[in-house]
Amino acid sequence: MKSYAELHALSNFTFLRGASYPEELVIQAKSLGYSALAITDECSLAGIVRAHVCAKEQGIKLIVGSEIAFSEGIRIVFLAKNRTGYGHLSALITKGRRNAKKGNYRLSIDEIKEGLPGCIALLLSNPLPSLEIAKKAASAFPGDAWLSVELLRCGENLSEMAEFGRKSALPLAASSDVHMHVPERRALQDTLAAIRQGVPVSEAKTHPNGERHLRPVKDLCSLYPEALLEETMEIAQRCHFSLDELRYEYPEELVPKDETPISHLRKLAMEGLMLRFPSGIPEKVRNLVEHELELVKELHYESYFLTVHDIVRFARERNILCQGRGSAANSAICYALRITEVNPAHMEMLFERFISKERNEPPDIDVDFEHERREEVIQYIYGKYGRDRAALAASVITYKPKSAIRDVGKALGFDQEQLERLVKSLSWRELNESGFNPEKISLLMKLVDEIIGFPRHLSQHVGGFVISRGKLSNLVPIENAAMPERTVIQWDKDDLDAIGLLKVDILALGMLSAIRRALDLSGRQMHEIPQEDPEVYEMMGNADTTGVFQIESRAQMAMLPTMQPKCFYDLVIEVAIVRPGPIQGGMVHPYLRRRQGLEPVSYPSEEVKSVLERTLGVPIFQEQVMKLAVVAAGFTPGEADQVRRSMAAWKRKGGLEKFEQRLMEGMLERGYDEAFARQIFRQILGFGEYGFPESHAASFALLVYVSAWLKCHEPAAFACALLNSQPMGFYAPDQIIQDARRHHVEVLPVDVNQSEWECTLPSPSSIRLGLRMVKGFSMEGMARLASARSLQPFESLDHLASRAGLEKRDLLCLARAGALSGISGHRRKAYWDVAGTAKEMPLAPNPVDDVQPDLLPLTEGENLVEDYGSLGFTLGSHPLSLLRNQLRKRKLVQATELDHCPDGRIVRAAGLVINRQRPGTASGVTFLTLEDETGQINVVVWKDIAEKQRRELLSSRLLAVYGKLQRNGKVLHLIAGRLNDLTPLLGNLVTRSRDFR
Amino acid sequence: MLWLAIHFPALSLEIFPSSSGPIAVAEKGIVSCNEKASILGIRPGMTISAAHALSSGLIVKFRDRNAESETLAGLAAWAGRFTPSVSIQASGLLLEIGSCIRLHGGLTNLLSMARRDLHEMGYGFILSCAPAPHSAWLLAISGNETFVMEKEEIEKAIGKLPVELLSQPSKIVEGLEMIGAKRLEDCIKLPRSALARRFGKSLIDEIDRALGKIPDPRKYFIPASIFERRLPLPASVMEAESLLFALKRVLPELSGHLALLQSGVQEIELHCIHEDEKDTLLKAGFSAPTRSHEKMLLLFREILHGASLPSPVREIRIRADKILPLASGNIDLFDDEDNEESLLIERLRIRLGKDAVFGLSEIQDHRPEKAWQTCDSGCDAKGKPGRPFWLLKKPFRCRKGNLALLKGPERIESGWWDGKDVSRDYYVARDENGSRFWVFCDRSDGEWYVQGIFS
Repeated sequence: MKSYAELHALSNFTFLRGASYPEELVIQAKSLGYSALAITDECSLAGIVRAHVCAKEQGIKLIVGSEIAFSEGIRIVFLAKNRTGYGHLSALITKGRRNAKKGNYRLSIDEIKEGLPGCIALLLSNPLPSLEIAKKAASAFPGDAWLSVELLRCGENLSEMAEFGRKSALPLAASSDVHMHVPERRALQDTLAAIRQGVPVSEAKTHPNGERHLRPVKDLCSLYPEALLEETMEIAQRCHFSLDELRYEYPEELVPKDETPISHLRKLAMEGLMLRFPSGIPEKVRNLVEHELELVKELHYESYFLTVHDIVRFARERNILCQGRGSAANSAICYALRITEVNPAHMEMLFERFISKERNEPPDIDVDFEHERREEVIQYIYGKYGRDRAALAASVITYKPKSAIRDVGKALGFDQEQLERLVKSLSWRELNESGFNPEKISLLMKLVDEIIGFPRHLSQHVGGFVISRGKLSNLVPIENAAMPERTVIQWDKDDLDAIGLLKVDILALGMLSAIRRALDLSGRQMHEIPQEDPEVYEMMGNADTTGVFQIESRAQMAMLPTMQPKCFYDLVIEVAIVRPGPIQGGMVHPYLRRRQGLEPVSYPSEEVKSVLERTLGVPIFQEQVMKLAVVAAGFTPGEADQVRRSMAAWKRKGGLEKFEQRLMEGMLERGYDEAFARQIFRQILGFGEYGFPESHAASFALLVYVSAWLKCHEPAAFACALLNSQPMGFYAPDQIIQDARRHHVEVLPVDVNQSEWECTLPSPSSIRLGLRMVKGFSMEGMARLASARSLQPFESLDHLASRAGLEKRDLLCLARAGALSGISGHRRKAYWDVAGTAKEMPLAPNPVDDVQPDLLPLTEGENLVEDYGSLGFTLGSHPLSLLRNQLRKRKLVQATELDHCPDGRIVRAAGLVINRQRPGTASGVTFLTLEDETGQINVVVWKDIAEKQRRELLSSRLLAVYGKLQRNGKVLHLIAGRLNDLTPLLGNLVTRSRDFR
Repeated sequence: MLWLAIHFPALSLEIFPSSSGPIAVAEKGIVSCNEKASILGIRPGMTISAAHALSSGLIVKFRDRNAESETLAGLAAWAGRFTPSVSIQASGLLLEIGSCIRLHGGLTNLLSMARRDLHEMGYGFILSCAPAPHSAWLLAISGNETFVMEKEEIEKAIGKLPVELLSQPSKIVEGLEMIGAKRLEDCIKLPRSALARRFGKSLIDEIDRALGKIPDPRKYFIPASIFERRLPLPASVMEAESLLFALKRVLPELSGHLALLQSGVQEIELHCIHEDEKDTLLKAGFSAPTRSHEKMLLLFREILHGASLPSPVREIRIRADKILPLASGNIDLFDDEDNEESLLIERLRIRLGKDAVFGLSEIQDHRPEKAWQTCDSGCDAKGKPGRPFWLLKKPFRCRKGNLALLKGPERIESGWWDGKDVSRDYYVARDENGSRFWVFCDRSDGEWYVQGIFS
């Protein structure tokens, strides 16, 4: 049988046109016996890497190309013959994309009047372009241009095309305008067209038939003259470019002229070590660095480390706190280069575990920066390397169930209200009962199922930068991002990984802002923080961790008293264990029992012991689970890693069985019993998607320790820093302030004469709240106020109004927040006075005839309402203390009273709902945090109560819970038996819960 | 002067078909909801997702402000039966009734007539009276029906109302609450100039208007010269009784509308909008102009019972464009039912025959039998080459045996979305007699059909 090369195929990376994944096209082309397949997405190379990876696996030739519609109306498919051609094509796509708004492109035929050296041009013939333009285009590609003939059973006129080819001197070649890998995608393809056009599918311009799929060669033979099919083979032969040829060239400028990259890196590392260990570098560390340098040299990763070092150096010069994490970040080199503060002398980790020679996978370093200052770092990178050499990686936004239902539903003619109901409803069965046409629903379901996972558009990755030596656009097309002045490349993180390009993740972390502020406020440096302070661990063991990085969440707080961390490595475990992976894999309880000595620690073999010893025989980290597959089941490290990457896809589309069988057989062969093997399989399942790597946990643990130390020894500075870094973290300012006060920190109210913009520390144990806490007060107002105040404090409201020239709006905010009480009496009076200043001219004093009525001061309750309204918290009594008498009458006890109740006691308590959580891992359980004037109460609401009392659960702001106390060591939970909504007691008080984040 | 305020607290919800389950109207957040929803904890102001979290069966409708003002205009027209001075508010009506109480047999009588009509039309309402329009309005929106007859009593009646009812921007209201002025009486007590200075003259003006201290002229509703009103139905219906029920809401509006214009109609069009058929048009003709909605209803009852509707109706439209002058005295003069009916049936027959040849708008469809409907006027708008001029609406089966295929195939695969997916290969074919046909082979079963005939 004849063979054929398809030269014109769109994948679903031609968003809303292509109806098959690149991988599906490749696999189908292979199974139909095609000799080659070109993926030619419209002005895009976004899907090409996936196709490349798959084509290599399948052993079919892949041609890199792109279809472009020029503004003159001609459409051409370009195919890269070689690396030069690829570079030109990438540059052309970049030009077109940069010329237009995100998601579009614009190119004129003039852009290719000099041709694209190294590229083949296929002029598309449906519809036929004007002869003049076709001739012009053909002349730019002498000997490398064809007229493509696409016979799609739509009444095409072959002789007309042949005539056109003759007139324009273009040879003819067959192609099929492929939009899908099999004809069964026709409905989806029509749907995509309707979504693109924004109309129901019945009104959309769709293709008349489903011929745009990869057709059997036999079928093609019956349609096309033989010569046209043979021509495709000739063209394919000319294209010998492979993405494997792309070599990443690192920036050169970081190495001084007289140094080599490795000598420069060694010099920097040694200099760094001297600073780290002024009294002499420990032998162990020196050896480790030497060993790592060797590895780096062998794998040519010097420039990568130098690049990250340069970025971190810049940040440090600007006093921007940062911290590296990721597979390579916890190396001795990174410690020496100050990319991380995790001391390798304290850790048992080996660099080799992170850089694998065998896998030849680039090292991975993510650097977190203070969230408010990351932009400075990004601007530095753009400034240093230029926008043509540095760009953000893409993140491919794909269809999720909700977006899929909305878009497909609209295309099928459901109305907006029906769709919202569908989106909200989780059970399809329910829908069928609620009046939807079952046939229409099943059609919708089928299409939604198909479209989920389809790429929808490219967005920018949160911070993954690619930096190249020459023009980046020669390597990968660059396009405009939604944010002005931002550009993204067309490849995402996995594409970069697959091609072996390096990226640096520049991420934002709120806690770093808070730590930097706390360090500044307390006059310390990060590296001066004493290590392994037992007082800090004791505090954590008491779950006294409000505001501490990572371990402040409800789940973490519940774990800490049992866990009782005693050393840094315990924190690494603590960070990793309260995660969906270990929870779903059922690792948490075995680990805790072993830690408490309630269960013996045993290992089925020495190999397993070597992997699991540091976590008492229970796999906690992603690395451990992957390593287990290697040592216990005979996977290669590369295969194990592939397992991790594919897990999500397997779970969705099936394919797990093969892996399960392989793993079980491997383990049984090596003498492990079936129960153990099954357990490992289950754990790998849980970990695949959600496992937390030890390398990240270690870096996070350091921030946990530092923030906990600050909370323990500098509680005022720490709380102050948290307040100034809002919004961030798990708790609102209200809880942070209450926690600080419980730790004997005096919190002083906002005051127009005393407060700065940020919260400040007038003494080591007191915080003066800043004017940033006042809702609606402008920074501009602050600037005016500060400059007027620097001369002389304000004595009266007139004084303030006339000197600072504040907008009335700002003055009113201050009055409401009580910030004027020092100069204008109680806030009602202050408000009256401020409101009386003339609108246009707040400078003018109140006229003499203005009357001052007797305004009663606010009651305690009214003050409370105003505090919450204008600040979000109160320094006065807790709302519940005002209600306590009423609560007592209802036999509701205080949080602290629960501390003395025995396990199993039936109790009634109430509090403001400050948090609601329903973890995906806990089947239907809702966790509530209630707060009263004495502390917090942790409530567990099981599914049946949650269903029965949904209203009380979801909409109460003040909630009473009748239930049973459950005591587990120091950990108290109130298991709800009945919920009672007491919100009406709060009157006008506006409180807010942080729900379901 | 005496003003009657009618507030429709649930109007945004009532314009939608009622539901036996929980239903809410939302704009950015929830605007209003029915009792079922409110039992589940759904409240105005809540986010839509919070409301859905409380009830998975909740139906959320998106607020339709156009329909609301259309409905208010309709209700204003209805109110025209009491007084020519009707003013439309954001969520209700203000009627000047002082001059017409006696005409309607006193206030009590007037109120009970209004209540009965509103009840029939199916709206929730709150009535209040006061000698100043704004105080009547404030009393109505406060939720408690209050009837103040003397100007001197206004202050006492509105004093306890919260300031948030005022039509002041929320900033002003917050400010008033901030200084402790939570009720209107608190504002009235504060020094006027100082208050005006702080919260603007418009606040003082509003209070004065409410107290009837300054004039408060209102713009009265002027009915359009034609009457047009649409009403979506709760569910698609076939039965005449259900349609009549809907008409009960609309016809009183028409009647009031006509009263305001001091006119009547002789012909009313009723458009029934179907799910997937084209509209059915029914006309009610009267031998003489009328404005009695009872009479209109009676006639439509006859018409609907006699008419055969092709499929369920999801919406009705009432239209009267020939409005004729009618002095109030001669409303019932020409009652001649028998005569009228026979005349009407005659007319309908004529009309229905003519209306059956309605054209449809163009359809983008690859299936020839679907595309056919779009070009029935005789010209092939698409101008696709190789297709016959004469297309059959329903293809008929044929045997392939005696056909010579001249050209093709042209493959058409389309239409999966409406359950009539086709997969066909089309050919130009010729039979023994030399006639040329457009035929296709159905790829699902291999059968052959004729789709069209070449002339």
